[in-house]
Amino acid sequence: MMNRLSAIALAVLCASPAAAGDVPWAERAINSHVDQSKLTGTLDRAALDALIASGERLFGAKFTELDGAGRKMATQAIIPTKRKRPPDNIFQRIAGTESNSCSSCHREPVMGGAGDFTVNVFVNEGFTNADFDTTDPQFSNERNTNHLMGAGLVELLAREMTADLHAIRKAALHAARQKGEPVTAALETKGVGFGRITALPDGILDLHEIEGVDTDLVVRPFSQKGVMTSLRQFTINAMNQHHGMEAEERFGARWTGEADFDEDGHAHELSDGDISALVAWQASRPAPTVMQPADAAWQAAAKQGSTAFDAIGCNSCHVRALPLKSLDFADPGPFDAAGTLRAGEIEGAVYDLSLLDWTKTLERNDKGEVLVPLFGDLKRHVITDRQVAALGNELLSQRFVERNEFQTTEIWGIGSTAPYGHRGDFTTLDGVIRAHGGEARASRDAYIGLDDGARSALIAYLKTLVIEP
Amino acid sequence: MTNRIAFALAALLFAAAPLRAQNAPEQDAPDRDAELTMDVPVMVEEALAAGIDHQYTGPWEYFVGGGAAAFDCNGDRLPDLAIAGGTSPASLYVNHSDIGGELRFEEKPDALPANIREKVTGLYPIDIDNDGHRDLVVLRVGENIILKGGPDCTFTEANRALAFDGGRAWSTAFAATFEPGLPFPTLAFGNYVDRSAPGSPWGTCHDNVFIRPAQGKDTPDYSEQFPLSPGYCALSMLFTDWNHTGEPDLRITNDRQYYRDGEEQLWRIVPGKPPRPYRKSDGWRSVQIWGMGIAEADLNADGYPEYALTSMGDTKLETLDDEAEPDRPVYRDIAFDEGATAHRPYTGDDLKPSTGWHADFDDFNNDGRLDLFIAKGNVQQMQDFASYDPDNMLLGKAGGGFVEAGDKAGIALPRRGRGAAVADFNMDGMLDLAVVNREAPVSLFRNCGAKTETGARPMGNWLEIELQQKGVNRDAIGATVTVKSGNETRTRKVHVGGGHASGSAGFIHVGTGTAERAQIRIQWPDGEWSAPYRVFANNFVVIRKGSEQAQYWYPPE
Repeated sequence: MMNRLSAIALAVLCASPAAAGDVPWAERAINSHVDQSKLTGTLDRAALDALIASGERLFGAKFTELDGAGRKMATQAIIPTKRKRPPDNIFQRIAGTESNSCSSCHREPVMGGAGDFTVNVFVNEGFTNADFDTTDPQFSNERNTNHLMGAGLVELLAREMTADLHAIRKAALHAARQKGEPVTAALETKGVGFGRITALPDGILDLHEIEGVDTDLVVRPFSQKGVMTSLRQFTINAMNQHHGMEAEERFGARWTGEADFDEDGHAHELSDGDISALVAWQASRPAPTVMQPADAAWQAAAKQGSTAFDAIGCNSCHVRALPLKSLDFADPGPFDAAGTLRAGEIEGAVYDLSLLDWTKTLERNDKGEVLVPLFGDLKRHVITDRQVAALGNELLSQRFVERNEFQTTEIWGIGSTAPYGHRGDFTTLDGVIRAHGGEARASRDAYIGLDDGARSALIAYLKTLVIEP
Repeated sequence: MTNRIAFALAALLFAAAPLRAQNAPEQDAPDRDAELTMDVPVMVEEALAAGIDHQYTGPWEYFVGGGAAAFDCNGDRLPDLAIAGGTSPASLYVNHSDIGGELRFEEKPDALPANIREKVTGLYPIDIDNDGHRDLVVLRVGENIILKGGPDCTFTEANRALAFDGGRAWSTAFAATFEPGLPFPTLAFGNYVDRSAPGSPWGTCHDNVFIRPAQGKDTPDYSEQFPLSPGYCALSMLFTDWNHTGEPDLRITNDRQYYRDGEEQLWRIVPGKPPRPYRKSDGWRSVQIWGMGIAEADLNADGYPEYALTSMGDTKLETLDDEAEPDRPVYRDIAFDEGATAHRPYTGDDLKPSTGWHADFDDFNNDGRLDLFIAKGNVQQMQDFASYDPDNMLLGKAGGGFVEAGDKAGIALPRRGRGAAVADFNMDGMLDLAVVNREAPVSLFRNCGAKTETGARPMGNWLEIELQQKGVNRDAIGATVTVKSGNETRTRKVHVGGGHASGSAGFIHVGTGTAERAQIRIQWPDGEWSAPYRVFANNFVVIRKGSEQAQYWYPPE
């Protein structure tokens, strides 16, 4: 109760009014903006709770035209881009804006969760007229809504992995310069291999043997393709694409020359603090858990299935857990590019996730590192081949990632997030497992080779990986 | 004494000249502040601390010139710096800057042969003999010199080896291009007043010189010179593909101070044929300015470059007119519309017209839009022109056009600017700036990032691109670099020439604003387009012709 009271007090302290003199029934979702300048240092529990509460309000808010919802003259592109003419309606299912609130899609089984096929979204360039942004896969990729549970841990893992890869790169370049000869180094972090690099004595880096990571060796853990660096970047992109709520830090006058880039009559739609609040809320979502079934038969089957999961090699990509050194979530983060606030642009704050009760239940290894049970490797893999190509139904590459290449889905919570597959094309886990081709082909074939009971046991196990309601 | 009288006369002439500056609306400070929504780079002057103590000095012949060349001469890819000195010795400074930190240079006293270090007006780097080492063209009052570059910033005089007659003229401009079928570059030298001609200096401009290398030889042979006559006292020249034909012509900006019946010039350069000037019958409109420097940039990414021409009073910004055709170079001035006239000091109380010299289009704040730097400075003591005449940093605006930020950026020093070199000296992705000043210390500005109330913060994203090809023209002079992010395409041209007596070679810098990825395509000098190269921003990219992938280069840490 004390925390809640102090959180309310802080929320009041940290807020700046969005519209002075509003009546209580005003048709706006944002009555005050979060003041970023108040977010400094490592936030204590009360301040963190207050920020998370603000983030929850924004995540659940149904934005209105009075808040600046809709983007009359801006496209959904991540680079601020003008429309050639305004759309006929504020909502447009394909090019967006297509939803009224974050939680209208991220909702199953809890706010921040995944979505049904009905809330699929479309990934398209956003650089042309909405008229050409059709459901034809020639023009857009259709994607099912991911859940955001445990997202803070995922980003922290990616940051540590990126730091490791960059350290390997730095050491290889230094050694090559010192020795005057090429130096090859394996890119391995947290047990995940990303191929190898060869540094040349003149400072050139040969990257043709890297695997599953971008050429700048930044592990981008978000979106089905693994193309977004941070929750902050994802949030800014999504708020513009889905709601037409434009973040000052990318769409403001600094970069676009206009305070109201989308020309909807509302400037400063989302403050830096608003984005921080949304980041804090997402970063603090509890990790999915492994449910202990009440049914004894299910328990037994799940135990058998867990063994099979490893035996047939599912865990080679769906790695059960990755070790995380620190639960300090710095916001802004260390690897974003301009257009998303970066360390050094503002003082920023640290969200200590260890203050959250649910993180205390996470298992740790003998080094004291948190074992994040994500069932993933934060690496991209080719997921189709000539015979098994159901997951290769996209025609557009996205941000340099080929169409048949996806980041390993973190399957924590998979038991709560049907339908399955990047487009939500599979109603059963059995179906989506059978659709694994490419690098996952051997495991998929092994799964098919199991007898009915063993396959059923594996499903029983996967069904225990849940998001707690 | 003669010179003093000449300039007193000139001052009177200028006073009577109808300058737009006197009729143009004021650029008042409040409006300028409102327009400065973009990042303003913090440019910290640190020449002395960086180890550069250098001035451009001398009498009348050195009122013009004062160039610098930024290029890597020791193979570490960090741009080194050669600076003209007029009556003071030209010097070469080797770059030892901290990566991402303070600038540090060390003079290499024996880099340039002692006998040619004086009387230098300008410097341009170019690999003439295709050996992978950049050579240095040294413009002088008197014999021009081509220095052959070797390893570790060593240079040897090569006029005799190249069969190059450096002449005795007062040279103030240079440009080079690689023409199809020729094994070495074609060179053009721009000359100023012929001091020995009767009636000098009025109406006695020297012819310029155009030299193609002899064919069928293994080493460069520049023995056959072609005079570009008439010359109109050139102060800058540039081979430029103005009509997007793949065959650059030669644009020359000339100083009306000394010519009679002269004008700005564009020479048609057809491979294998003698150059000929475009004339009125070709649509070429006579423009008479005190032309000091040329910069080109395709500001609207339509494939046709715009040109900034510095002058006394208004800077011109020329774009192809609607009446233009592939063989009709019809230009109109859009400087006023674009806010780029830079016709008088933007700060201080001196309202007299400005005197512009070096010009350079570059993206100093990495917002993805080209900015325009202009070095400014009174010729010497011309009383009808501003004596405090700070350099310009015109920042590109989101909706087009420019807004002045030189004072806020910190480059508004009371020095008479001449030539300049724009390069990323400390390899942090932000462009730094060296300005050669007449009878004042060289200014070396380190770009520290975007200005804030308390200091500086990171600016936008960027790419720096190095092009390589085998055989002739290793640095791909004449190539076009296009960088596409989303709907935006940014273009750069690789050239040798322009500016004011100053040239740079090395990484081509492109700010990409909020774009974290880009596709680079190269149109190589032979016209061949590369496949798109996918790169992440904030990287140094090396592209070799024919290679399937771009490579990243990392500076030493």
